[in-house]
Order: sequence, then C-alpha cells, then structure tokens
Amino acid sequence: MLGKPTTAGKIGQIVVALLIVAPIVWMFGLSLKPPGEPFANPANLWPNSPTFGNYASAVRPEFRTYFLNSSILSIVTVLVSVTLGLVGAYGLLHTKIRARLLLISALVAAQMVPAASIIIPLFTATKDLGLLDTRAALIGAYIALTLPVATVMQYTFLRRLPTEVFEAARVDGASTGRVLVSIVLPLSVPALIATSVWLTVVVWQEFLFALSFTTSPNMRTLPVGLNDFIGQYGIRYGELMATSIVMSVPVIGLFLLLQRYFVQGITAGAVKG
Amino acid sequence: MTAPAHTRSEPGRQPSPSRRVPNLGWTFLIPALIGVVALVYAPLAFTVVQSMKGPAGGFGGGEIFLGLDNYQQMLDDGTLTMLLKNSILWTVGVVLGQNLLGFACALLMNARWLGSGLLRAVLVLPWVLPGIVAALLWKFMYDPQLGLIGSVLQRGFGVDPNQVQFLASPSIALIAVIVAAIWKGFPFSFLIYLAALQTVDRDLIEAAVVDGGGRWTILRQVILPALKPVISLTVLLTSIFTFNYFDLIWVTTQGGPLDATHIFPTYIFQVGFGQFNFELAAAYGVVAFLLLTLLLIPYLRQVRREELTH
Repeated sequence: MLGKPTTAGKIGQIVVALLIVAPIVWMFGLSLKPPGEPFANPANLWPNSPTFGNYASAVRPEFRTYFLNSSILSIVTVLVSVTLGLVGAYGLLHTKIRARLLLISALVAAQMVPAASIIIPLFTATKDLGLLDTRAALIGAYIALTLPVATVMQYTFLRRLPTEVFEAARVDGASTGRVLVSIVLPLSVPALIATSVWLTVVVWQEFLFALSFTTSPNMRTLPVGLNDFIGQYGIRYGELMATSIVMSVPVIGLFLLLQRYFVQGITAGAVKG
Repeated sequence: MTAPAHTRSEPGRQPSPSRRVPNLGWTFLIPALIGVVALVYAPLAFTVVQSMKGPAGGFGGGEIFLGLDNYQQMLDDGTLTMLLKNSILWTVGVVLGQNLLGFACALLMNARWLGSGLLRAVLVLPWVLPGIVAALLWKFMYDPQLGLIGSVLQRGFGVDPNQVQFLASPSIALIAVIVAAIWKGFPFSFLIYLAALQTVDRDLIEAAVVDGGGRWTILRQVILPALKPVISLTVLLTSIFTFNYFDLIWVTTQGGPLDATHIFPTYIFQVGFGQFNFELAAAYGVVAFLLLTLLLIPYLRQVRREELTH
C-alpha cells in the first residue's frame, strides 16, 4: 500500500494495468488488420497478419481538413481563453475577499453549467448572425466552454506564488500592469502550459457543439468527422480504428510530455499544496 | 460564519496592499467577465425565456408564448420521470464505480518501483483518449459477434454472446454504458487520489503500524480520514461531469433502446436538433440546470471553504 511493493504487489499492479489497457490494445490490433482478413468470431486480441496499410488510408483528404479545423479551433480558443483567463486570474488576486468569493463562485458555476442548457440560445444567435457552419461560431462556443476553467485554473496557480514577489515589486514602484508582465508572466509558465494542455484536450474532443453547429464537410472537426465515418464506410473497421488512433496521438502525446504540469493543474483545486 | 473566516484570512495573505497603488483588479477582470456573462450567463437566461415559448406553426416560423406548457408536457408524457430515473442511475453508477476503482488503483499504484511510471501512464490512457474514440471503441467492444467482451464471455464462460445484446437490450444497455464510462473516467479520480495519498502524514501510518494495525486498520483510521475532503470534492466534481456527459451515450446508443439510456444532454440534443423543437429542448435545458444546482451548491460551498482557508 505504501513504500516499496512486494512481488505480489508488483504483479497486482501489472495485471490491473493490462486489464485496463486491453481495450486499447485490441483497438490498435484492429487498426492493423488487413482489410481482407475476416473477423475472427469470437474476436482475437491481435490480427493474424498485421499491416500498417490502414494508416495510409486513414489520412485521406477529408481527414486532413478535419485535422486542420480541429487544430485551428484549438489554437485560437487556447490563445483567447488562456490570455483572458490569466489577466482575469491576476485581477482576481487583487479583489477583496468577499468580491473574490462571489466571482470565483460565478466562474466555477459557469464552468459547470451543462453545455446542453446553453446550446439552444447559442445556436439561435449563431443562426441569426448568419454564422452557422463557420469556425467563428465554434470558436465562440469553445470560449464559452473554456474561459471559466482557464481563469479558475490559472488563479489557483497564481494564488500559490509567494506574496513577497508582488510586494517587493510594488515597493519599487511598479504598476499593477507592470508586475503582471515582468513578474507574474514569467512565473506563470507552468500554469500557462497546464491550462493550455487542458483546454486543447477539451477542444480537440468536443463533440456536442461541433455536431450541432457544422453541416458542411469543410467545417467538420475530427470528432464529428470520425462519427460520420461510421455511417459512410460501413464495415471498414480497420480504417476507422486507424483514424481514431491518429486522432488520439496528439492529445496522448501532449499529456505524456507535460504530465507533471498537467497533474499539478488538475489537482491544484482538489488537493492543497 | 463568514465574518470570522474573513478576518482570519486577511493578514499578510493577499498581495493587495492597495494603499500605495490604486486597485486595478477589476480592470483586469473585465474582459474575462464580459466573456463569461455574454457566452454563458446570457444564454442561460435566454434558455429560460425560450422555454416558455413554442413554435408558432405554419411556414413563417416564429414563436408564440406558451407559459409553462412545455414543462406541463414533459410531466404529462412521462419523459421527465424517465430522464430523472436514468440520470440518477447513470450518475450514481458511474460516480461510485469510477471513484471506487480510482481509489483502489491509487492504493495499489502508490508503492513505487522501477515500473511505476510506465504503469501509471498506462492507467491514465483511457482518460486521455478522446471521448469520441472511447465511445467508438466501446461500441465495438459490445458488438455481440465482433466485440472483445462477447469473445471473453464465449471463451471463458461458454456463453453465447448473441444471447447478450449489450447495447440493444433495454435492461442491459444502461449498465453497459455505465461500465464504459467508468473505464473512461476512473483515471481522473485515480490521479487525484494518488496525489492526495502523497500528502498523508507518514508518521501517523508508522504509529498505526507500531500499534499493530493491519492494512485495513491503516486504511480506515489514517488514510480515509485524511483523504475525506479530497474524496468528497472529487465525488462532487465527477458527479457534475457525469451528469453533463454526452458523447459516450450518443455514439453508443443515441439514448436507446426505447429511451433506456437517455439522459438530459442526449435528450436535449434529440429534441432540439432531431425534432427541431428548440423551445421544448430549452425547457429540458432549464430542468437540467436546476438539477445540476443540487450538485453545484455543495461544490461551491467546498470551493468557498477552500478559498477561505487557503
């Protein structure tokens, strides 16, 4: 339970990890199945003659479009929400405790509002503005989804910075804005990274808004494109699984690379540092 | 209750000795606040307004005022009861499952050795997998002929998988999607509990060991009390996420069979974008938000407390 594991403990850890990862291994196996190889019934964990052929067809032109759309949406949303969020979080630090509690509650509540409870007016407004089926509409929706969490997450980071940092600069006569740019910003790099990763993961897999707000293939994002794929291509499961894996790799990679920051960010609110 | 906490948290804590420099906090907050009000709170208010209307009918479109008719309708035709029942079973099932599994895995994985880093990364994979990919994966996992679960049942237990239509049987489908959601969501709880376990006072554990306490005693008397605040926060947080879940259910069952797996988000999507009854969908949106506040209020109370004692 604590300290060094016994041999039994190690075996337990490995067995649990294998059970958890089995569906993903199976998915990877399906992605390597040649289109001609019939499905085993009952299913096997691994194909007889694995091939990477499905991956070549997984990067068809339409998926390049979806990939591009998802990337643009992620980048723009992250830039806007992380910037506004950091500035807002810095502002929160300077409010009096009563106002701050109220503001944090309002932000956390906004973060938790079911997307399905605000989607109808957002859709109607988008339609009235003639923005249906555009990236701009999805960017608006994604800022709605991410700005509250971007602010709260970065606030929990800023709150941990030693107060002497601010006060020393203040005594030297630096303005509030100056302190933000030359002192807070450099210290916030881990917060910026963690928040950006989190928001990228959210936007990259967002499904409800992308499904409702886009209609043309040119505007579809990866999750919706993948979902359309099931209907269009019938039983080409190998290709479907290969596409799924191609889509998952960027977020899994980001996570594994930045795991340390990420875990800090997620647990910042729940575990006291 | 607020007043003493207020004075307690003041001295030296805040970087805002605003006597020398004017307090610019609000200026910095304005862009974020405008964004949140315009994109979240205003739409929420419009949802309430729209829920009291209905389509005017005819070709011109437009809306007429209906008062509470939409709410009356969901009460009368039984959909509200259906959605409440499904949402409670779904949320309780997923939250219990993912937190128990996450906690058990955190205890198991807490012991460090050479393989720990890799094994922990492997455990986190389901959570990092995009929701749509996990949903597709489980749709195939449950396929009676081609799926891995049918295969395990057939090979291990001699069960004919065609007898178990996981996603097509109204009595099993909800359990099937709950299992998939637990698999997808447990690493979140796991990560939080694993981080929290590092903060447990080792001296207390040593003391319990000296007193002859076994693992069970240590768990009950030291670890659980120390982790209680983290557990309740995580349970609330995962309840909120689960209540709001859309992708997994929509992709695997679309709320079927016979509405057996419909929860608020999937039903709202179906009514709004399948039947184009935006007003009725808005009414369900209002109910969903009201129900969510039951979870939100205790969560906000915890957030407040954490902020005051920080």
